[in-house]
Amino acid sequence: MSKPLKENICEERLFSSIFRKYSKDLHDFLYYKFGSKLNPQDKMQEAFVKLWENCAKVPEDKAKSFLFTTANNLMLNEFAHQKVVLRHQKTKPKHSTNINPEFLLQEKEYKAKLENAIAKLTEAQRVAFLMNRVEGKRFKEIAALLDISTKAVEKRIYGALKKLREDIDEL
Amino acid sequence: MNREDLIQKWLDYNLNPQELEAFKQLEDYDELITLDTHLKGFKADTVPTDHALKEVWDSINSTHKKTNKLLPILSKIAAVLVICFGIYFYTTTLDTTANTLVSQQKTIVLPDASEVKLNAMSTITFNESDWNNNRSLYLQGEAYFKVAKGQKFDVETELGTVTVLGTQFNVKQRLDYFEVTCYEGKVSVETNIKQNTLLAGDTFLIIDGKYIATEKENLSSPSWLNHNSTFKSIPYKEVIAEFERQYNVSVEFNNLDDSQNFTGSFTHNDIEIALKSITLPLQLKYSKTDNIIKLKRE
Repeated sequence: MSKPLKENICEERLFSSIFRKYSKDLHDFLYYKFGSKLNPQDKMQEAFVKLWENCAKVPEDKAKSFLFTTANNLMLNEFAHQKVVLRHQKTKPKHSTNINPEFLLQEKEYKAKLENAIAKLTEAQRVAFLMNRVEGKRFKEIAALLDISTKAVEKRIYGALKKLREDIDEL
Repeated sequence: MNREDLIQKWLDYNLNPQELEAFKQLEDYDELITLDTHLKGFKADTVPTDHALKEVWDSINSTHKKTNKLLPILSKIAAVLVICFGIYFYTTTLDTTANTLVSQQKTIVLPDASEVKLNAMSTITFNESDWNNNRSLYLQGEAYFKVAKGQKFDVETELGTVTVLGTQFNVKQRLDYFEVTCYEGKVSVETNIKQNTLLAGDTFLIIDGKYIATEKENLSSPSWLNHNSTFKSIPYKEVIAEFERQYNVSVEFNNLDDSQNFTGSFTHNDIEIALKSITLPLQLKYSKTDNIIKLKRE
């Protein structure tokens, strides 16, 4: 006997709590999938505005799917299938202060290779892999966000790791 | 535990202490850790959640001031009403037109029960909705009016205006021809040339811009109502023109004097008799092929 959810997303408090729960994941998902060019934060916010407009129609347990689908579509409307290039942040590693120039050069090369290799991953692999490695999410968390099985997440991430290592070794 | 499983568990942040030790013993441990450290550099920008939420609320409030679902429906209803009112207004203020074709007669009853009988090839135009305030109509051709008592009643034509209060009269306006005959009551006629008041039996006639005096009319209604056209000293070309209108034919006459006056009548019911009526008095001969009639001197 499942009790129907009385609470409606149209209620401001609930809407805000949904925002706090999913805004970061949604933003990260858009970022890893489409890169930063198309302004993932804007699209994330737009998706929430759309959720509010449709708050009467979307039950709370469907809100996450609604947000991810809507944001994804918003992106696809603009996205002309250009290659996604994720830039390595320019922050210097802490231990780089007393490092010799040769090491710095190697470091730079490695980063370039990595950028290249990441660009070669499929969209699905890239999203799952970076959410896992960069955001530190476990397989089942990613599975819940993307509405796929844990096994599929595992496959994507392991596949991505394998492909990355091959590409880096090759270059 | 094999190498692949260890890496899988490492990826899922799920290594227990013994497994971690085993993982560290892997030959590609260093490589994996290097890769992992570098990957952290691809971290997505952090979104300041509270600030972003505030922006979302701002955007919701600015574009959807209490999203009123009633407003679009109301605007649709308003649009429909505007269109309906527009059509109603347009059709009611539109003038009403009645016309007759060649050899046709028609009776029209006006909103105040006044009667108009239209002779062949004639048109009247009037405004039905405003009729009680403004009894005025525009006439092209010939018509007989039986006007109900009331305010002033105007018949406008190209050649002049006829004004009455309540009476019976006939107006005939053709090319350069304007004739008003009063059968009852009093009729006032106004043209550029002359202004006159007619009593019962009086006729007002202007041909080619000239006023022509006429005798008193004895009939109680115009002869065309009984399917006869009667002329008293009327130029022959007008007789022919009337004949053409009643029978839908065209009459050709070469080298004939069409300005001589004609007195007589012709019926609308029998073309042979009618032709004889208009040709014999002038000693003319006619030949008829289809819709063309040729007149010749004997």
